[in-house]
Amino acid sequence: MKKNMSFSVLAASVVLAMGANAAFAAKVPAGVQLAAKQELTRNNGSEPESLDPALAESVGANNIARDLFEALTAADNDGRIVPGLAESWKQTDPTTWVFTLRKNAKWSDGVQVTADDVVYGIRRFLDPKTASPYASTYGAFLLNGVEAAEGKKALTDIGIKAVDKLTVEVKTPYPVAFLPEVMSNNQLGPAPRHAIEKHGKDWTKPGKLVGNGAFVLKDWAVNSKIVIEKNPQYWDAKAVVLSKVTYLPIEDGFADVKLYQSGENDWVYQLPPGTYEKYKAELPKDVRNSPMLGLRYYSLNAKDPVMKDKRVRQALSMVIDRDILAAKITADGQSPAYSVVVKGTAGADATTYDWAKWPMEQRVAEAKKLLAAAGLQAGSKIKFTYNTSEYHKKMAIFAASEWKTKLGLNTELENMEFKVLLKKRHDGEYQIARNGWVADYNDATTFLTLVQCGSDQNDNGNCNPKAEELIKQGNQAKDAAKRKQLLTQATKMIMDDYPIIPLLSYTTPRLVKPYVGGYTGKNSLDRYRNKDLYIIKH
Amino acid sequence: MWSYAFRRVLMTIPTLLLVITVCYLMLHATPGGPFDSERKISAAVMANLQAKYHLDLPLWQQYLYYLKSLLQGDLGASFRYADWSVNDLVANALPISALIGGTALLLSVVIGIVLGTIAALRQNSLIDYFVMLIGNLGSAFPSFVIGPVLILVFAIWLAWLPAGGWNDYQVHYMVLPIALLTFINVSTIGRVMRGSLIEVMNSNFIRTAKAKGLPMRTIVMRHALKPALMPVISVVGPIAISTITGAVVTESVFSLPGLGKLIINGASNRDYTLVLGLVVLVTVVAVLINLLVDLCYALLDPKIRY
Repeated sequence: MKKNMSFSVLAASVVLAMGANAAFAAKVPAGVQLAAKQELTRNNGSEPESLDPALAESVGANNIARDLFEALTAADNDGRIVPGLAESWKQTDPTTWVFTLRKNAKWSDGVQVTADDVVYGIRRFLDPKTASPYASTYGAFLLNGVEAAEGKKALTDIGIKAVDKLTVEVKTPYPVAFLPEVMSNNQLGPAPRHAIEKHGKDWTKPGKLVGNGAFVLKDWAVNSKIVIEKNPQYWDAKAVVLSKVTYLPIEDGFADVKLYQSGENDWVYQLPPGTYEKYKAELPKDVRNSPMLGLRYYSLNAKDPVMKDKRVRQALSMVIDRDILAAKITADGQSPAYSVVVKGTAGADATTYDWAKWPMEQRVAEAKKLLAAAGLQAGSKIKFTYNTSEYHKKMAIFAASEWKTKLGLNTELENMEFKVLLKKRHDGEYQIARNGWVADYNDATTFLTLVQCGSDQNDNGNCNPKAEELIKQGNQAKDAAKRKQLLTQATKMIMDDYPIIPLLSYTTPRLVKPYVGGYTGKNSLDRYRNKDLYIIKH
Repeated sequence: MWSYAFRRVLMTIPTLLLVITVCYLMLHATPGGPFDSERKISAAVMANLQAKYHLDLPLWQQYLYYLKSLLQGDLGASFRYADWSVNDLVANALPISALIGGTALLLSVVIGIVLGTIAALRQNSLIDYFVMLIGNLGSAFPSFVIGPVLILVFAIWLAWLPAGGWNDYQVHYMVLPIALLTFINVSTIGRVMRGSLIEVMNSNFIRTAKAKGLPMRTIVMRHALKPALMPVISVVGPIAISTITGAVVTESVFSLPGLGKLIINGASNRDYTLVLGLVVLVTVVAVLINLLVDLCYALLDPKIRY
């Protein structure tokens, strides 16, 4: 009896403990003891350009926006799309989605969040007067979204409608199977009309900003810190463990690490170049490095007299040893890439080249043949343009040395300030240029925009009409497997034209204190909401 | 002297106009604009953005528009910090830079003059070698080397002070940046003071004073110090301008939210209004400090009359 009783007491306490955990935070694993003080300081890499979700463009600004606001859907710390403001959604026909909002979702001032707020938020985001830099990127997924952003259609023509107080209908220009993924971006979320109209352009300031996210803005000292605190009005406030988060805007990687070492920062945004191996040895429990959907690549200008020859582009790509580049040059855990679509992206497979598996001698011999056929002799000069940075310089010197030693080509390295490079690249005034891209959402189309005909993001000037047709067909396909097959086929076709030299897929080498829980390393867009994090007793 | 000062202040207006015009043209001639980013913005959206900030107007109209706002005390909207006006940004950053820079300047002038004087009077003694060592170290090592060393020792090893950042004017966040700026400035001021005083001490009127049997203290305090300070005042002018209006490197090393940070971010992001606003501020400060320096000359040297 006694034995039985102690067993039942134990069982009851386990159930209670589990219950307590479940109520406290669904994701804190059983057995993890939480610290009494739930405060986190994380460096965000730069000062946000705005806290207005419609204007947020940088990674840093969007990180904070995800805490202060909640879109219809959200990505959890594993990168899975989970309900956000909308508790459920369904696709009623290939181009129509219906999202049902939570009844208990409130703005931080207690006002209920309604379907009208979502419609207002999206129309405001696409309004030419708002001039959001993301308008054409995300507007493309809504019927008449881009046309409205360009002022060619009225805002009321956008495919967004409040069916009733808690139901939003979204119409897309073509079947967008991954729409719930896209709708997790705060640009496409609700906006507090009542607060914006009351405070005008000052509405994002502390004391005025009204959000519907898990946190509220407490303090904002430009270039110093942004402090947010738990929002008691948030519908899931019970599951939010952190009580206060301080975002730092430190750009200098070494200053960031020093603050971390002195205990004033729990989260180094990104380790400075060349230090990953050192910290991996010194602080093995703190170093986190997980794959991210981002691509480092070189653009080849298809309009350049030398680069317009596909054989030249192919030869230049073939001889760069990505394995050495990843292991010895950048040495920060990134993986070799041979496709514009990064491995792990939904919607298409990362393609590769047959020669990627060949021994280097064979690759070099083939590349030399291609160059000879193209009439480009050893000793010829090519020009590589990059923005001034130690990291890019190291990579550029490596590429130049590969082209010199393996193909006999002399590379002139030209470095410039970032904005100047952007201008040159966008205007097509270069031969070979450094480039990079981080996915806006987890679908292959975010990467395909880099190489599609006429795309704003295509700096290479290439165009493969047949592949374009396949992408169009894929996007119209109702079956996800069929779509994936068509997009992968299109990717392969484009990559066989060699518009770019894919080099490495990104990782996020950083330091995070071992007591920061919820940092899973599985969120491939690196979008960790503070809602999912907690401080372990230490 | 007051009418001279008034005329000098009036001269600020054409100086400012010239500086603004040159800076305005240079900014617009630099390739790349405020809205060029990794994600290229479609032509239509770019047009929206440019219209929002009046960048779609002809350059001369934008210029006149800017001058008009400036006359009303409005430095315009920032492109890089879209939620803030340049006035807000400057109002937040100026007190921080001025407090850190001003304190460092005051300390370095006092310490520099005292150390320089002692070194000059005890030429080739241990204290002289010590002052010269500080002078040479401060000149040889740039602040981006000394700063991290200070952080390593005082913030990481000893854990006495924060490694950087800023927290509502709390003193311990200011100690290291002020120490770094003071050290760098003392090295210059101390060296100049030492050299200048040695030269003065070898001049004829000091020899006469010594021959008259005046005590050393009187010779130094009453006769040598004033003329020896003239070159020091000359170097303090430019030091003051750079220390107060944004010690760019120091602010970066210690992650301080001062003017230096704004200048760097403004320039690299082609934030035309922010850069121009800061240029206006730096110009005004420079003119005023130069005026102060000139007035100090008149106080120190009776031959100078305005």
